[in-house]
Amino acid sequence: MIRINCPYCGEREHSEFTYGEDATRTTPDNDAPMEEWNKFVYERANPAGEHIEYWHHAFGCRAWLKVQRNTLTHDISWVGLPHENPEAAS
Amino acid sequence: MSGFRHGAGRLGDAQLNFTFDGKPMLARVGDTVASALLANGVEVVGRSFKYHRPRGVTSSGPEETGALVTIGSGGKADPNARATMEPVTQGLEVFSQNCFPSPKFDLMSVNGLAGAILPGSLFSAGFYYKTFMWPAALWYKFYEPSIRAAAGMGVPPKVADPDIYDRIQSFCDVAVVGGGSAGLAAALSASQSGLRVVLFDEHNVLGGQLLNEANNEANADLEQWRADTIAALEAASNVKVLTRTVCWGRFDGNMLAAHESVDGKVRQNYHKVQAKKIIIAAGAIERPLVFGNNDKPNVMLASGARRMLNHYGTATGKMLAVFTNNDSAYQTAFDYSDAGIQVSAVVDSRQYPSQALLDGCNSRGITLHTQAVVTEAKGWQAVRSIEIADLAANGQSVSNRRRVACDVLAHSGGWTPQVQMAAHGGKPPVYDKKIAAFVVGDQAEDTYSVGAAEGENGLLVGVAQAVDAAKAACAELGGKAGSVAQPPQDRDGATNIVPLWSVPAKGKQLVDIQHDVTAADVIQSHREGFVSVEHLKRYTTLGMANDQGRTSNVNALAIMAECRGLSIAETGTTRFRAPLAPVSMGGFGGREIGKHFKPVRRTPMQEWHEKAGAVFVQAGMYMRPQYYPQAGETIDDAYERETEHVRKKVGICDVTSLGKIEIVGPDAAEFLDRVYINMFSTLKIGKARYGVMLREDGIVYDDGTTSRFAEDRFFMTTTTAKAGPVMAYLERCLEIDWPELKVRVSSVSERWGAMAVAGPDSRATLTAAFPSVDFSNETFPFMGVVHAEHNGAQMVILRISFSGEMAYEVYAESEHATDVWQAIIDAGQAYDIVPYGLETLGALRIEKGHVTGAELDGRVTLGDVHMDGMASKKKWFVGKNLKDREGMVHPDRPQLVGLKSVDPRTPISTGSILVTDANASAGADKQGWVSSMTYSPELGNFIALGFLRGGKDRIGERIYAAYPVKGKTVEVEVVSNHFVDPTNERVKG
Ligand SMILES: [Zn+2]
Repeated sequence: MIRINCPYCGEREHSEFTYGEDATRTTPDNDAPMEEWNKFVYERANPAGEHIEYWHHAFGCRAWLKVQRNTLTHDISWVGLPHENPEAAS
Repeated sequence: MSGFRHGAGRLGDAQLNFTFDGKPMLARVGDTVASALLANGVEVVGRSFKYHRPRGVTSSGPEETGALVTIGSGGKADPNARATMEPVTQGLEVFSQNCFPSPKFDLMSVNGLAGAILPGSLFSAGFYYKTFMWPAALWYKFYEPSIRAAAGMGVPPKVADPDIYDRIQSFCDVAVVGGGSAGLAAALSASQSGLRVVLFDEHNVLGGQLLNEANNEANADLEQWRADTIAALEAASNVKVLTRTVCWGRFDGNMLAAHESVDGKVRQNYHKVQAKKIIIAAGAIERPLVFGNNDKPNVMLASGARRMLNHYGTATGKMLAVFTNNDSAYQTAFDYSDAGIQVSAVVDSRQYPSQALLDGCNSRGITLHTQAVVTEAKGWQAVRSIEIADLAANGQSVSNRRRVACDVLAHSGGWTPQVQMAAHGGKPPVYDKKIAAFVVGDQAEDTYSVGAAEGENGLLVGVAQAVDAAKAACAELGGKAGSVAQPPQDRDGATNIVPLWSVPAKGKQLVDIQHDVTAADVIQSHREGFVSVEHLKRYTTLGMANDQGRTSNVNALAIMAECRGLSIAETGTTRFRAPLAPVSMGGFGGREIGKHFKPVRRTPMQEWHEKAGAVFVQAGMYMRPQYYPQAGETIDDAYERETEHVRKKVGICDVTSLGKIEIVGPDAAEFLDRVYINMFSTLKIGKARYGVMLREDGIVYDDGTTSRFAEDRFFMTTTTAKAGPVMAYLERCLEIDWPELKVRVSSVSERWGAMAVAGPDSRATLTAAFPSVDFSNETFPFMGVVHAEHNGAQMVILRISFSGEMAYEVYAESEHATDVWQAIIDAGQAYDIVPYGLETLGALRIEKGHVTGAELDGRVTLGDVHMDGMASKKKWFVGKNLKDREGMVHPDRPQLVGLKSVDPRTPISTGSILVTDANASAGADKQGWVSSMTYSPELGNFIALGFLRGGKDRIGERIYAAYPVKGKTVEVEVVSNHFVDPTNERVKG
């Protein structure tokens, strides 16, 4: 099973977590045009490889975390708080 | 009968009783069902999957394709068990499968005859796909029932399994898969590092192919090495040895999944082992040769026949013949001969076996036929002779057919390394021409394949590889693996195989013996245009039986490659997927079965409801009273009475299951303004407000009532269904989207018991129950909030209404909630208060036209439920940017309406389709649907809520609610969704 190293709880099995969403998107401004919001809500990159996403430690500390996961291998190379970023991330 | 006891093997003298199809039989402690059946002279153990051909024991291991039996009876019955893997225990019941009336005389075996007569037999390749294309009407009436009767394996038990299954999650540093010589050595070496080691082996005795060796004087030192290694492992406190444990899959993050069979209260343990390093020492299994009637009882894999004799002390026959394309099977002939059993022939398809083998045959007086093949196994039910012939140099034809007597034929088509576990790591195996089998190519990360699983390595090389792997694995983990005593003898791994993929002769030649797939089926599917091995597999069902193609895969690929004129390497192999062995569903379920499948949540008032005779219904995880029947009442009688009573007098309902969230902090009001469409910053302290949330895409997410307790403190309620998701959503908003807001949210759902008190007499009832609270309209108006106390219990009382009557929601601390409930019941006696359940709650809210999850189903917009006016224009909120897209506000969208059946006593089914034509057929214009319905005592009419295209402007129209599945169509009138008190007089009264 995928194991996720929660900064608060330590390494736990992924069944304690729920996947949240793509963490690479930037929320548009509140008054941004509808087209921009439409893109934000509906368009995803679906990369094959490294991806950064939000996970919720729902059955643990309930923190929202940012996770770097390889979509091909499921390797998790980095876990941080929502406003941190992995150093190598482009 | 041909098998018999011959010597002790490695078993003792202790005996056990068991039965086969009710017949008492004797076994020795350590026997498997297969070895015991053979020792008792049983040849036909069952019938095959499709053709009902007689089948017997074909091996001594997990690759068994013939002897599938049902172990145990009643709920404990375990169908399709491999007799070679099931230890005999005292009193064990074993049953044959797929035969009527008995394995020897089976009526269905006519399928086999039909196959010989008809062009393209009943069950030939692609049969499932072709049959489905015949007239559909015949399928249910004829084909399906007759195929069900004819094809099949064991029958699953019809009663629940009474045994317990457990799930064990553990961690280790080094996991070793396979307990043969290499696996034992790897585990022992790794154990000396002090790291945690787990060793899996699916047999009950460790040793792998060492157990095939004769247990005699010449091998005593080798047997001692095995015993010493096992003893050292068992003595090591950092090693867990799991026997009878099949490691059947490897998953992300090096998780290994294994099922362990145990004797006792628990039947199986499902292990999930998180390993840092994995050493795969899964060994190799022998594969069959493909010739006529190669599935006949007493045709056995040579290694299996050898282990039967040497380990179990069971001779598989009185006269043995051997058919091989490699060196390894000779040892079976030699061991049988040395044990005093006649060996009538060794048939070798190769031209020049080695001098050592020739000498071995000569010295024992065994007749050797080289450049020869077995064309067919003969005998009515089991082998009584074989037809052999000379093989042309080009391998395409045979000549000089002749008979050789024997009652068991041991054959070997080469060895197949067990690469599945390595392949689960994501690296496809590669074809090794030298050994005519697939081997591990690139190793997956953290993985080492050693021994026979990696090719023809032989004993000493395999053990050396294992120790090297253990040292490398431990070193990467910062440990130091030790050395292991070298085995005192070697066993050469080289088999000098010359592939013989099939024998050019007639007769049914089985490739996948367990699934009755023949060489002809493979060739036919090629003729029909199948080129991919994945398609071949699915079209012929090859490799899809519970042996997962262990013995059949390579032969089938080779035949396919030959048809296509390609090499096996070019044809490739199918993808290996877990589980690589049959595993029980029980293990996956563990203890989470039946009522333990998921937790049951009860409200604090559960016991009160039980005493009041409530009928419960599961709502989410909650058990909630559905209705409280009085003597002789049906569910309809009860909810109609309760509903009427609430409208006329007063009732009380347990609404604890609502989600409750406390929102605290200086920015709490700003936070609510962002998540709700309407304004909360303007809400006065001591007031409640109904709020609606949207998703980012503008669709309605949830609704509820939020009260303001203080400037910086709010109390939110959510629907029962969304209690969890809304909480996670609010947390996400605060942590990800708006970390600048100083707000904390916490779920207080468990803290408060909640009850709705509704009806014209609700004010009088609560005034009597809680005299310290002023319930007058002036101090406690509609949407007012009051904090109060009752006998030391904190309460929050909201004057809100879901029913449309004057009503209050009383929240009381959970541990005191029943006291508070009882106080209201006691005070309400003067007004004939009744408890009401979920049915009445639903009836009341439908009459009032309130929406719930049935309406807010993730498809509706604000406009659809007439709430677009609620959305604030003065502020931003989630969903604002997309809620007004063209399609979201289109006037033709289905909109919430009320529906009244034109005949008042005709119910309208929930889920009905709304149409304008009474005789609408499937292709009719579907204009909407019915989302909830009830009988309305107040209107004396069945009513419903639904969504109708452009429904806002269609009030008064008569349409139809069609329910084609039940053949029901009801004429309905479109009305406002507010059936009762549309101007809100009652709630404000
Ligand atoms: Zn955590």
